Amino acid sequence: MKVGIPRGLLYDQYHPFFTRFFTELGAELAVSPPTNRAILDAGIQCCVDEACLPVKVFHGHVSCLKAQCDLLFIPRIMRLYRGEYICPKFCGLPEMVLNSIYGLPETITEPFYADSMAGLRKWALRAGARITRDRRRIKAALEAAIAEQLRFKTGYDDQGYPIRVALAGHPYNLYDTFINMNVRKKLNRLGIGVVTEESMDEEEMAPEVASLFKKPFWTFARKTYGFISASVAGKRVQGIVYVSSFACGIDSVILELVRDRIGDFPMLVLKIDEHTGEAGVDTRIEAFADMLERSGRVEDHHSPHGQRLSCCESPV
Amino acid sequence: MKITIPHMGNVYLAAKALFDGLGVDYVIPPMNSKAALEIGSLHSPEEICLPFKIMVGNYIQAIEQGADTVIITGSCGPCRFGEYCEMQMKLLRRLGYQVDFIVIDAPKCIGLKELMARIARVAAASPRSRAQKWRALAQAVRIMNLLDAIEAKAHEKAGYEKVRGTCKRLLHACRQETFRCKTPREMLRCLHEYSRRLDQVPCDNSAKPIRIAIIGEIYTVIEPFSNLYIEDKLMDYGISTKRMMTPSWWMGNTIMSPLKINSPGIRMASRDYLPYYIGGHARECVGEAVLSWKEGFDGAIQIFPMGCMPEIVSKAILPAIARDKDFPVLSLVVDEMTGEAGYVTRIEAFIDMLERRRSHAVSRH
Repeated sequence: MKVGIPRGLLYDQYHPFFTRFFTELGAELAVSPPTNRAILDAGIQCCVDEACLPVKVFHGHVSCLKAQCDLLFIPRIMRLYRGEYICPKFCGLPEMVLNSIYGLPETITEPFYADSMAGLRKWALRAGARITRDRRRIKAALEAAIAEQLRFKTGYDDQGYPIRVALAGHPYNLYDTFINMNVRKKLNRLGIGVVTEESMDEEEMAPEVASLFKKPFWTFARKTYGFISASVAGKRVQGIVYVSSFACGIDSVILELVRDRIGDFPMLVLKIDEHTGEAGVDTRIEAFADMLERSGRVEDHHSPHGQRLSCCESPV
Repeated sequence: MKITIPHMGNVYLAAKALFDGLGVDYVIPPMNSKAALEIGSLHSPEEICLPFKIMVGNYIQAIEQGADTVIITGSCGPCRFGEYCEMQMKLLRRLGYQVDFIVIDAPKCIGLKELMARIARVAAASPRSRAQKWRALAQAVRIMNLLDAIEAKAHEKAGYEKVRGTCKRLLHACRQETFRCKTPREMLRCLHEYSRRLDQVPCDNSAKPIRIAIIGEIYTVIEPFSNLYIEDKLMDYGISTKRMMTPSWWMGNTIMSPLKINSPGIRMASRDYLPYYIGGHARECVGEAVLSWKEGFDGAIQIFPMGCMPEIVSKAILPAIARDKDFPVLSLVVDEMTGEAGYVTRIEAFIDMLERRRSHAVSRH
């Protein structure tokens, strides 16, 4: 039995869990290649027009995998933490894929609740039953997969750069170097190191999140808001680079909350979609880098939105 | 305390009845218009959905008339509506307006005690006795139900009326006259009168009008301004329409949903296509499409604001329903940039297509 796992959405964060789980059950794995032009084009062709870029890319991965596996895994990630959701599109992802792509093999679409052990076990038993009838083996595979995931560390924490920025956004926009055109490398080349939210403890974010009127009900919103606010409050970074996919509903909320919190602290929002041209992205990143560099020279006079830098003398 | 609420269809009439009954001071914002939308889109984040922008316009117009407290409902996701309160509070504060927000949120995320405390803030402003307060609430609920029933009747009868435009005129007159009433009791009397008059509209019972179901995101289907008055337009064309999403449906559904016995019809109908609640009203949209096919409608029109996350999922599913059931569905996306001419052209083309299907063997009619 060959299980297909699309390398899209939260694959970068949770692949140790899913790959270990299915290999422990004795399945052979077929994982789609890293995102490339062909995958993106295939995704755009079959996905509903209004969806955001990462969902279209996921569709592309599925259509690339569909002929190479007997059983396709489409994660329906409902919850990662208690009382929080991911995004409505994650909950309805299997339906979007099943109704948009023809000729799919059998699929695993059981809802995945990672906020409790019982939820995980329920998912494992249902998903594992498609491969083996041995319940003991499924439970052992789940234990191994959880251990594997807990050992896994991801995230960027660049050291040794004169300027450091917080790189924020949904993980699938940050770690898919094709759709974000390798923004980290571009920043590094300009002498800017990046830090992502994985380098910060949740305890540090908690007080920032608690200061909101309402506790955010999206995991991404809570973490990203907490990470950015705590980084700015703790003066850990000189700027923020936010990678956001066009028409992302959750980002429209996070960005508004963040802007309200940080005031005129320098922030660059990079909108990405299937049309994004690389030259425009380069120009914006370079301009942002220039601004950060100059604001370092004229203390407290950084200008994030077009005001004059200094009234007496030119900084350059 | 001068209370205001954002607009959503006819809710302002029920709210007026409630506040009149409670004897509290209130402002009903001016009816939704380009002006409200322009104020809203000026101050709102660019990528937020249309209802947010219109609501911000409502608040600011109401504040200019003296309102200092906003009442809105909340939700706990995963749709963006649940974050509206937080963002709107911060936005208005940043603009320098001093307003209080009373967010009527689901007890599962703020706790029953907090919910009661928030409701008590409204109730405390009322000088009436406890019995009178309960009566005011009951009357407001009855007014909402009656209004929705009258609207549904007018929309259905528009396809059968002998003199084109009778139902539409009656419906508009009903809204205006109800708004002029001073007390909830007077309102109820007025609504009963209009309900009776709608029953007496001369109809051609042998007519076989095109019947269309309006489905989609709850705010944009209920608030006529946001969907460019689609139901009025369809009434003008002599089309019979039906919309399940109404404020009274929402109320019933919200009360029943903690027990998971809400809308059994929709649950059953959507089972094959979307068996989970994914936020917003995506499951309802899919279920209604299947139900309207079962009820023999000619087609359905889905309306949602640009970027609406749950409805994007249902938009991906609707073509499969259309294919399986041979049931045409038109998806319309609205935002502050929607041009009326292009919008109307698409609706007219859809209706033409439905009419021609009738004259060919492909239709069930």
